[in-house]
Amino acid sequence: MLTCYNNIPDVLTIRDEPRNRERHVMDASTLTRRALLKSGAAGAGIVAAPCIIRRAHAQDADLEPYTSAKIDWRQAAGEAITVAVIPASYFDNLIALASQFQALTGINVRFEKIPPAQIRQKSVIDLTSKTGTYATHAADPMYFALYGANKWVEPLDPLLQDASLTDKSWFKIDDIVPAWRSANTIEGKLLGMPYDGEVTLQVLRKDLYEAKGLKPADDLDKFVANAAAVHNPESRVWGAALRGVAGAGQNVYIYSSIFREFGGDWFKGGKLTVNGTEAEAALNWYVDVMRKYAPVAAQNWNWPDIADAFSQGTVAAYIDAHSSASVINNPDKSKVIGKISFARWPKGPSGKRITSIWNWGFPINGALPEKRKKATWLFIQWAASAETQARTAHRFAGPAKRSGVNRTSFWRDPDYIKVVSGFGDNFVEATLESLQSDTDVDWRPRVPQWPAVGDTIATAIQSALVGQASAKVALDDAQKRIEPMMRG
Amino acid sequence: MALLAPAFVVLMATTTFPLLYLIWTSAYRIDLAMPFTNGYIGFENYRNVIGDHRFWSSLVVSLIYTATTVLFQVVIGLAFAIFVLSIRRFQAIFRVVAILPVVLSPAVVGMVWRTFMLAPEFGVVDYLAISAGIGSRNWLGDPTLALISVVVIHTWQWTPFAFMVLLASLASLPEDIYEAARLDRANSWGRFTRITLPLLRPAIVMVVIMRTMVALTAFAAIFTVTGGGPGTATEILNLYAYRKSFTELSFGYGSALAVALLIVTVLVSALLFALRRAR
Repeated sequence: MLTCYNNIPDVLTIRDEPRNRERHVMDASTLTRRALLKSGAAGAGIVAAPCIIRRAHAQDADLEPYTSAKIDWRQAAGEAITVAVIPASYFDNLIALASQFQALTGINVRFEKIPPAQIRQKSVIDLTSKTGTYATHAADPMYFALYGANKWVEPLDPLLQDASLTDKSWFKIDDIVPAWRSANTIEGKLLGMPYDGEVTLQVLRKDLYEAKGLKPADDLDKFVANAAAVHNPESRVWGAALRGVAGAGQNVYIYSSIFREFGGDWFKGGKLTVNGTEAEAALNWYVDVMRKYAPVAAQNWNWPDIADAFSQGTVAAYIDAHSSASVINNPDKSKVIGKISFARWPKGPSGKRITSIWNWGFPINGALPEKRKKATWLFIQWAASAETQARTAHRFAGPAKRSGVNRTSFWRDPDYIKVVSGFGDNFVEATLESLQSDTDVDWRPRVPQWPAVGDTIATAIQSALVGQASAKVALDDAQKRIEPMMRG
Repeated sequence: MALLAPAFVVLMATTTFPLLYLIWTSAYRIDLAMPFTNGYIGFENYRNVIGDHRFWSSLVVSLIYTATTVLFQVVIGLAFAIFVLSIRRFQAIFRVVAILPVVLSPAVVGMVWRTFMLAPEFGVVDYLAISAGIGSRNWLGDPTLALISVVVIHTWQWTPFAFMVLLASLASLPEDIYEAARLDRANSWGRFTRITLPLLRPAIVMVVIMRTMVALTAFAAIFTVTGGGPGTATEILNLYAYRKSFTELSFGYGSALAVALLIVTVLVSALLFALRRAR
């Protein structure tokens, strides 16, 4: 748990003030424990300094683009809200602008960084205990069904319709990626506003593919054939890698696309179904790729591990979030910059390409008092607005530019395209086409029982991957476990 | 009595109350995914536990994990203690080095083993295996190897505890009995089995009891190393209860599993204490 105000690691994430960073890091490391205890307040002051500096220099920032909205931004002035986010550059960029929000609205916003593995549990515990600790948090779209079933969060539509709270023509909700909005919509109600999201793409080593005369795969069979062609473990190049580690947001994240591409239907005859011939075929395809062409270690890898291996040149292709492009283009770590190309998902036997519709959305905690709900909505409106999206992306001062912006129109904005096209060949085209044509709201089954269902599917996939059970046995067992969960 | 009251209240509030609350919770259905089904259900969670084959398989994993780690800790710890006692120099260094793993957090130990030691192609253990001609192995990806790996990690971390306790006991054994045995021409194996082991018995039993209770309720290291995987190969009962409660959000059923773990731990400890008194 990191907060902007009292934690040393946050100092390290500040990108736009290198000189300050060095000084404060030194201060922090020379502080002994005793000194810190003796002069608690002074110590905290030193560590908090970057936040103050940031606030000061943001004060002058131009607020005109916001004040042109026909609402009273200061109607909830004096409120204080806490926002839980994950430690990631796309949220760091937002945190860097928090002072602008405070200057605009008079609302005090405090950020708490919680690693992705814990943020779901922490927010669920906060919501279920109705303490209202987090006014809003970065939410997993798969959890909105659960939130909705328990009425833990406020539907956002009434706030969007309220002219005193939202200037519709300024906010332009229709510009926010439709697939992400539908991912966050339960029974017709939008429960979370997408802030940052992703599509899944093929990420390829252009040079290795060209050396063998290969084109990006158009279907899943070709993807395997390509992997086989470039696979050469003796010289430490593996053909392909997919997420292997078990988890509803890890191996299931990739498997779900394959399952849908093989024609799988999560709700066969109205009943949640995870087994059957399509599921077996999909799982066998996944196991086959992973066993034959991925490093053995990839069975425990999540996407950052895959991106690291790709950066080191040991993996020739992977399918994962387009936002991993910033990792494999990091000049400090990557040896493959300039050798990267992108392509849409290969087609499955059903003829469909199915991308992830993952996004981090902001819901409003239903346990808040009315005025604080308004303050939270103003924050969400600010964070999701085109202006803030631009200021945290191509117009951000630091080196980490976001590629997961929530606005479709940016993908036609020359300024934005200029920044993100540097990630590699075909990046812009592949991302935009995926956003427009390959999204599928039933990518993963959106049910309140998802935490349990997803975990069960994850275990089944991994059992099959490591050879603990065949695909059929693993999936049939998962189905047997899932049925009582759905019956209630 | 009045002076004891604050401490007593704090103790009740932090230990007894949560325990009673856990038992109370286990009699309810508390399922966040389906709030409309929640309510008092008596012993139904326990009936479901009995019929849940994943409960039994995780209990088996727990028992294997406990039995092997405790056995290794005692055997290796005792061997080390005898060895260290027999050398004249560097004893102090050995003691300091030996205590290091114990002071580390199990979660940190798990992370270190997972990333630096056991990662295929990149880890130290895998490098040694390749050098030794065994070849690269997926230490945490193969069901059997993963279980062996978590047993090794726990043993690595906690053997020093057994070592320290047994070393202290060994050092206090009376020298004259050994002298008498030598005069009677007892060989070293005879001296070990007839004198050392019987005299060390109370210490060994104490180590076994303490380590068993900890191993049965182990969590952090396995959680960070394998998360119970691959599949359910290293899913000990504690981890299953955690997953039910906090991943699947079925708090009632998770509580019932935790109570089941409590019962198992109490039964095993009672058995060990009974054995201790038996002779």
